[in-house]
Amino acid sequence: MTVEQQLDSLELMVNVGPQHPATHGVFRMVLWIDGERIVDVEPHIGYLHRGTEKICENEQYSQIITLFDRLDYIANFNNEWVVCMAAEKLMSTEVPDRAQYIRTILCELNRIASHLLFYGTFALDAGAMSPVMYAFRERERIQQIFEATSGARLMHNYFRIGGVKEDVPADFVQRITAALDPIKATIEEADRLVTFNEVFLARSRDVGTIDGKTAVALGFTGPNMRASGVDFDVRRAAPYAIYDRFDFNVPLGDRGDCWDRFWVRIREMEESVKIVEQALKQMQEGPIMAPTRRISRPPKGEVYVHAENPRGDFGVYLVSNGGDRPYRLKIRPPSFCNLMSLKHMMRDAYVADAIMILGSIDIVLGEVDR
Amino acid sequence: MVAELCVIATKLVVLVTSLTLVVLSMVWIERKFLARLQERLGPTVVGPFGLLQPVADALKLLVKEDLIPALSDKLLFWLAPIVVFVPSYLVWVTIPFARTTAVRNLETGLFYITAFSVLSIVGLVMAGWGSANKYAILGGLRSAAQLISYEIPIIMVVIAVVMLPQSMNLVTIVQDQRTIPYAALQPLGLMVFLIAGVAEVGRTPFDIYVAESEVMGGPFIEYSGAHWAVFFLAEYVNTFTIAVMVALLFLGGWSFPFMPDVAWLSFLWVALKAYLVFLVILWFRGTFPRLRIDQLMSFAWKVMIPLSFVNLVTTGVYLFYGWPKWTLTLMSLAVTVAVIYIIYRRMTWSARVTAEERLARARAYKRVEATDVR
Amino acid sequence: MFASIKGLLVTVSHIFKKPVTAQYPKQHLPVQERYMGFPVLMWDYQVVEPYCTGCMVCVRNCPTGCMSAQMIDNPLFKEGKSKRRKIIESFEINYGRCILCGICVEVCNFDAIEMSHQHELSVVVRNGNRTNLQDLLAMGKAYQQEVGWKPKSEREGAKQEATA
Repeated sequence: MTVEQQLDSLELMVNVGPQHPATHGVFRMVLWIDGERIVDVEPHIGYLHRGTEKICENEQYSQIITLFDRLDYIANFNNEWVVCMAAEKLMSTEVPDRAQYIRTILCELNRIASHLLFYGTFALDAGAMSPVMYAFRERERIQQIFEATSGARLMHNYFRIGGVKEDVPADFVQRITAALDPIKATIEEADRLVTFNEVFLARSRDVGTIDGKTAVALGFTGPNMRASGVDFDVRRAAPYAIYDRFDFNVPLGDRGDCWDRFWVRIREMEESVKIVEQALKQMQEGPIMAPTRRISRPPKGEVYVHAENPRGDFGVYLVSNGGDRPYRLKIRPPSFCNLMSLKHMMRDAYVADAIMILGSIDIVLGEVDR
Repeated sequence: MVAELCVIATKLVVLVTSLTLVVLSMVWIERKFLARLQERLGPTVVGPFGLLQPVADALKLLVKEDLIPALSDKLLFWLAPIVVFVPSYLVWVTIPFARTTAVRNLETGLFYITAFSVLSIVGLVMAGWGSANKYAILGGLRSAAQLISYEIPIIMVVIAVVMLPQSMNLVTIVQDQRTIPYAALQPLGLMVFLIAGVAEVGRTPFDIYVAESEVMGGPFIEYSGAHWAVFFLAEYVNTFTIAVMVALLFLGGWSFPFMPDVAWLSFLWVALKAYLVFLVILWFRGTFPRLRIDQLMSFAWKVMIPLSFVNLVTTGVYLFYGWPKWTLTLMSLAVTVAVIYIIYRRMTWSARVTAEERLARARAYKRVEATDVR
Repeated sequence: MFASIKGLLVTVSHIFKKPVTAQYPKQHLPVQERYMGFPVLMWDYQVVEPYCTGCMVCVRNCPTGCMSAQMIDNPLFKEGKSKRRKIIESFEINYGRCILCGICVEVCNFDAIEMSHQHELSVVVRNGNRTNLQDLLAMGKAYQQEVGWKPKSEREGAKQEATA
């Protein structure tokens, strides 16, 4: 027997409990560690389960949009868009151009806001306490634009099946153009402060590596997958709405470690800024709502639509029986599927890396638990 | 005899009270300065400009319930804060703020300071073990390892500093810097002392054993209320000790660039320099993420200790050959810049690649085509 | 250049920027014009009665079911002073259940309910957030004063006149 076998040491079970400052929500992670190395990890979810899919079966289509806001509560517009797309696809509704542009601009701004929050909280997990404040300062600008447009900073309930609820305010274009400059400055500052910092690189380089093939096999989508080198972005590979009219790059990482996931999201923010600028230029006057009935009744059928959320590939599978309420609505949440790769990524990691790896996947418990 | 004892007793009382007041001011400065770094205000409600906030914090800590775990070793649990706290105050007996104002100026002052500051490590291990909490034990052992490893560069740098005026008396060392502070002669020593000193105190980027966002909370997990206040006090006094040591050993204390005749001006001058160093330490806290425990241990043994030896060797060479002072500055500066550059290249080479090269690497690395993803 | 030194310069540059803190509760940040606060009922100053007729469309469409209402025959209609046949008698919104989605405003046919700018509602009694008709009307009057509210039909009419 080897020395290790003769020693017959036990593995220590460490509970990163639901109440923890670094788990990004109510999420429980049970780690078995052997000295400093993690041997096994067992995620426990369900602390935020609210029965969204079941509630959707009892509410009309106009009311379920409020539920989708609360799924991924950091990228609200993106969720609303997917459910509207699903119902519109079933009803074969043609959404007017101006509504599409408004939707794209708001969703890309939401992507910037979501990645800003990731930047702040991931740096905080690593130990730097200043980027959070800077990131939230810029998020505040975006949220005030949202408030002026939809009426709420976070739970907008602004998209409707067939378009958007009401037209944007008169100073929409000016406000966004004015807000984009400080955001670009903050992104560039993030590079100087965090991205190429030696200590941050030491903490996150070669930590939690996952290669492209395993990522795809485990359903690890979004910026995480692109950090492993897989060139797949739903906006590029299967463009929905008007994404084929914009010119933007898809950043790819080369190693699939935590640093690459961070870097890809920072670059994606820059690409989103480009898309917003192009969309603002291309937007024309026009109707903002397709001519639909007050109460939507999609015909009998089923449809699956997916879109590129800031967290990954968000999908909605909608089964309709012709009534005014969905018969069954299944949500494919990206964070839930991304959590499956946690065990693979923590294979030979240190205990202190567990928090970094969890932070780098950027989960939101609202959509993990629904 | 009795008069002498009274004088010493008053000096000690003045020392302890002023150190506590200094700690209160440091808490206030820390919160305000960190807030300004982050575009926010810091405490503003308690007292004008939030000046009474540290007092409110202290009162809060004192009225909190002192929880003592049932399974803890009571003796160790109670002794640990004292063992951590007393040496922090003990070293202040020999630190001078002006030519004649140390409580007792020793000929081997520096030796006394470095020897006594090591004692608090035992207290941390006692705190970890006495808490009967597996996280506390792990944290306590980790902190002990970290602190012991970083003592060695500090001691080496202190030896190099002692070599210059050939004396361990702090007053002599400061007097010797009348014309040139040792920061100009030994910039490498300053850098090593500052970084190792920050690691000694347990501040970011070396505070993983007390970090809240990590799995382990460190040896202080089970302490609450007045016990924790004692640890808190000890940490801030240690920080101020390091700051004052930098001010005295490297920045010229009260005698550079001019020597005030009045004692309280000397006080002010040294205090100003010490607070500036403290601001730099806070600046580090607001900017850097933390290092993992194995990374900071390897940083200590593979970078800091060799650097401190290089510092010793350059100082020795300079003294042995009797070269002019600027040669030491040159050698020290050259090594500092070279080391910073080498660390920068080594740590960031994998990140600072051009966009085309990154794309080429990504395409070579991925094994999956976009069409494979149905 | 040494990346950490660059980082230090970044943080120090923020010292010279103005802090963005608003000292709540002494300073309140203003909300935008379209902000959806808690829903309140509008008062018709010309006819001296609420706009709300108690048709229950909002109650039926609310996703959380936080409202309840009761309608009666309008005495002012019998006297010929008002065009509303029915009028609201009692109305209750549980602000603790309301999710501020604005669906009630969208579906209302009488411009009777609006989302105010109120968003600070802490109470000291359990279930103290159940607001009755009097309070709803009072908050509605305050909102009307604050923004110079006009019912949607008048706003549309003005817009059409402007574009014509």
